Amino acid sequence: MPIKHIKTRVIALLVFLSSGLVMADDYARQRQQMLSEIEDGVLTTSKYIDKKSFDMQVMQAMNTVPRHEFVPELMRFKAYENQPLPIGYGQTISQPYIVALMTDLLQPQPGQRVLEIGTGSGYQAAVLSQLVAQVYSIEIIEELGKATTQLLARLDYDNIETRFADGYDGWSEHAPFDSIIVTAAISHIPPPLVQQLKKGGRMVIPVGTGFQTQYLTLVEKDMSGTITTRQILPVSFVPFTGGH
Amino acid sequence: MTDKQTPSPPLLSVFILSASALAYEVLLIRLFSIIHWHHFAFMVISIALLGYGASGSFITVFRRRLLAHYDSVFISNIVLFGLSSISCFIVVQQLPFNTLEILWDSSQWQRLLLSYLLLTLPFFFVANALALTIMRFHQHIPQVYGFDLIGAGIGAVLVMVLLQISSPDTVLRVLAICGIAASLFALSNLSIRHRQITVVTIVLSMFAVVVLPQQWLDLRLSEYKGLAQTLLIKDTALLLRHSSPVSQTDVVQSPLVPFRHAPGMSLQSPSGPPEQLAVFRDGDEMTAIDHVSDISSLEYHDYMSSALPYHVHSGPQNALILASSTGAQILQARLHEIPWIDAVEPDKQLSLLITDVFADYYDWPSLKDRVRIHTISPRGFAAAENKYDLVIMGPSGGSAGGSAGVHALSSSYDYTVEALQSYLKLLAPEGLLSITLWTSTPARGNLKLFATAVSAMKKAGLNHPENNIAWIRSWNTATLLLKNTSLTPEEINKVREFSLSRSFDLAWLPGIQPHEANRFQLLQEPVFYLAAQSILEDPDNSFSGQYKYDIQASTDNIPYFNNYFRWSSLKELLSLPAQAGISMIGVGYPTLLVTLAQASVAAFVLILLPLLFVQSDKNNAVTKASGRRRNIIIYYLAIGLAFLFIELAFIQKFTLILSQPLYAIAVALCAFLIFSGLGSLYAERRLRTETESIIPVLLRRAVSLIGLITVIYIAVLPLISGTIMALPEIARIISAFILAAPLAFVMGMPFPLGLATLQQTSPHLIPWAWGINGCASVLSAILAVLLAIEIGFNGVMLCAVVLYLIAWLSHRAYENQ
Repeated sequence: MPIKHIKTRVIALLVFLSSGLVMADDYARQRQQMLSEIEDGVLTTSKYIDKKSFDMQVMQAMNTVPRHEFVPELMRFKAYENQPLPIGYGQTISQPYIVALMTDLLQPQPGQRVLEIGTGSGYQAAVLSQLVAQVYSIEIIEELGKATTQLLARLDYDNIETRFADGYDGWSEHAPFDSIIVTAAISHIPPPLVQQLKKGGRMVIPVGTGFQTQYLTLVEKDMSGTITTRQILPVSFVPFTGGH
Repeated sequence: MTDKQTPSPPLLSVFILSASALAYEVLLIRLFSIIHWHHFAFMVISIALLGYGASGSFITVFRRRLLAHYDSVFISNIVLFGLSSISCFIVVQQLPFNTLEILWDSSQWQRLLLSYLLLTLPFFFVANALALTIMRFHQHIPQVYGFDLIGAGIGAVLVMVLLQISSPDTVLRVLAICGIAASLFALSNLSIRHRQITVVTIVLSMFAVVVLPQQWLDLRLSEYKGLAQTLLIKDTALLLRHSSPVSQTDVVQSPLVPFRHAPGMSLQSPSGPPEQLAVFRDGDEMTAIDHVSDISSLEYHDYMSSALPYHVHSGPQNALILASSTGAQILQARLHEIPWIDAVEPDKQLSLLITDVFADYYDWPSLKDRVRIHTISPRGFAAAENKYDLVIMGPSGGSAGGSAGVHALSSSYDYTVEALQSYLKLLAPEGLLSITLWTSTPARGNLKLFATAVSAMKKAGLNHPENNIAWIRSWNTATLLLKNTSLTPEEINKVREFSLSRSFDLAWLPGIQPHEANRFQLLQEPVFYLAAQSILEDPDNSFSGQYKYDIQASTDNIPYFNNYFRWSSLKELLSLPAQAGISMIGVGYPTLLVTLAQASVAAFVLILLPLLFVQSDKNNAVTKASGRRRNIIIYYLAIGLAFLFIELAFIQKFTLILSQPLYAIAVALCAFLIFSGLGSLYAERRLRTETESIIPVLLRRAVSLIGLITVIYIAVLPLISGTIMALPEIARIISAFILAAPLAFVMGMPFPLGLATLQQTSPHLIPWAWGINGCASVLSAILAVLLAIEIGFNGVMLCAVVLYLIAWLSHRAYENQ
């Protein structure tokens, strides 16, 4: 009995010591599962987003960023499920599929500079940081902005610069931007952001509540400076007549 | 216990209890609309009302023990109602429930279930007290029922008055005290053994409610509501909070991060909005009050799609702004130097913000000599015969994206065929009617508006509406321009110039070219144009027929402008991951279906469960007569469904007549409950003076009269509505009371007559019947909306007549058994 008791304790200790490793492996496995769910989502919605797969680099970035670090401790067991999660302050971390879709729509390239309005959890900025040279991110809620800045620093995302400010005016010191992503609810497209968008640049604006992105508005500025907007459905609901 | 000891029922107590309970029910809707959203409030309250059904089951099972201690049980249940009404709400508010997350997080369902159970308790206690009183004083059933109804009727008005003068949390405290106080009035009627202890307990309970810490009652808004999120921004300050029976209005200032509310403003605008104050209704649906320093600060108003009519009309001398809210459209008219502006806003509190509280901020002094704001609904004002060069309706608060589907169950008489006809009548020669709505993806509301406009024009005798309509869209708003005569070539050019200069797309214009429909705000298909083309030019309107959303014209009979659900799309919806499907279909209709499903299951259990106990009673003769039990179920289900069908239909009819939904609810509830109560008291008098054989005679007459009056109303009300709407307010309210009185009076008889019959044959089943009726009332409120969406409110009223006939037949069958 005593030997068995000691053996049990040793095993328990080993399990405890290796739990970090096991967790890391587990998160990697969950990330893989998340990627395959995103791929399924792309196929389901291919008709509306005009593609059957996201850019490989985007998927690689989604596979690299530890999403569990960006969700509250109590929510980590759900971090890699294809769903939005609350992060406090009435904000959410977007559904992985939506993050991937928005990133893909921006068509990020190495060397580019991206502006994000609404840092939130910092996850979107972290994903973008894997794909572009520099991410500038503005958060309006000071406490959230501070917490996220610390988190990004702790995770060594050194090509993300954050600040607490009003996103409407953009970040003129670093303008123009190759792309802009706006995650705040807006009644109109802020003209300063359009001005700070490079010719040929793209801006993505999700519309809907934190838990249900209803559509994305893609703003494109062509080489002549003409602006067009395009609405993109993130879900597979056939919106038009049967023939379409 | 004998009648000698308790000579009369505690009618005053019943009266106060019923008044408090109904007021509490209305209050809960208000409270949950503020904390969460009103569709959630509808769901929770519907289920909570099943407390009435649960009470029926409970008393059926424990009737002997409960009746043996009637006096103390009655008092206890009243006190428990008062205490639970406030404590259950406090606990529910503490639950970390998030209605938006319900589709993603299964633990939310557990919290929702717990909310249901907690909120069921107060209604359970009320129903216990009332049902036991009916059983205990069975010789006075119609009298007790009459006081119950009249009390509830008074409660409906009382809560409106209280909400007008106090905040909802204060009203909650007041109602809890009133509820407990109801027990004091019963003491003289009842033989309480420890009277002094009872009085002390009651007084202490009231005292406990009085001294409850205020922070426990402070409303905790969902952190996902616009107001909650705005207040997180540094240096924001709540400048004003006003609560009314209709909504809670909050005005917020944010000096560090300015609000910039400019729906659909063009990217070509040289300037943005000036400093603004944000105005939230029930913590969401933000609108703004502009800080008007000089006229140039309003320039951005000229770069919204809603500015179109000012550019098309050659020289408007006056304008009518419908639903002026916090005055953005008034400023747009001011910018375009309109000499005289009439504005219509049914919520006086919103108007007062710009004319009184923030008058200087809004620069009202420079407007007041040429603007008059009328506190009435757009339909009510449109019943007058004024003429305007421009009639303008701007976008309502909150974007479609943020609130899609939430309003699906709200009726709206502002966007029906009849409404648009009345607005068109207001136009002077060459006048323009302009309506701007938020857009949504996929397009829904705007397409429905277009179909409604075309239908209105055709009904007005305009055979070629395609020549009278211009329609443009920005990235998130669309403006529809209607004229009683064909648009002139000059006007058509002005529409093109305006749109091109602001990068707006054309959706319809006489002579529109397909390439003009999808240039700046790109859609996968130019659905606005395709829909317009089909509605105007395709005799089969195949586009609308095949569209996944219901975009058929909205009418006064089916005034659910914001509901786009189509059953034919349900299969496709269900084949999608739930979250995706729901986000496209909107939450309103699915909420209704889920609520109906939940209520049906609960009602089924609550109705059938007591039968198991009844069957176990071998001495009971009724247990051998399953046919009789079936007839009892049919009778009480039928009259429970029918009563609410008619009452809800009248609330809708009164909304139109009285121009204020709030008045409509108060007047309809008050009139129906009071006159039904009087009908019940009349039945009591007849029963007291005549033999029992009078019951089937009275019932037959009541059902015949209900059928006759209902049919007359369906035929006559549309004819006289216009005349009543043009009357002064007090005359309209009196008219509504008079209209409701005869029908409500006869509708008050079937329930007590049924109970009187049951009293003769199976008195132990009275609480069960009471419970069935309670369950039916809950189902009825949900079914009435579902039915109205499909067949209209006239159809709902006819269904009620059929149900009353079924009830009468089942009563006859019961008597013959």
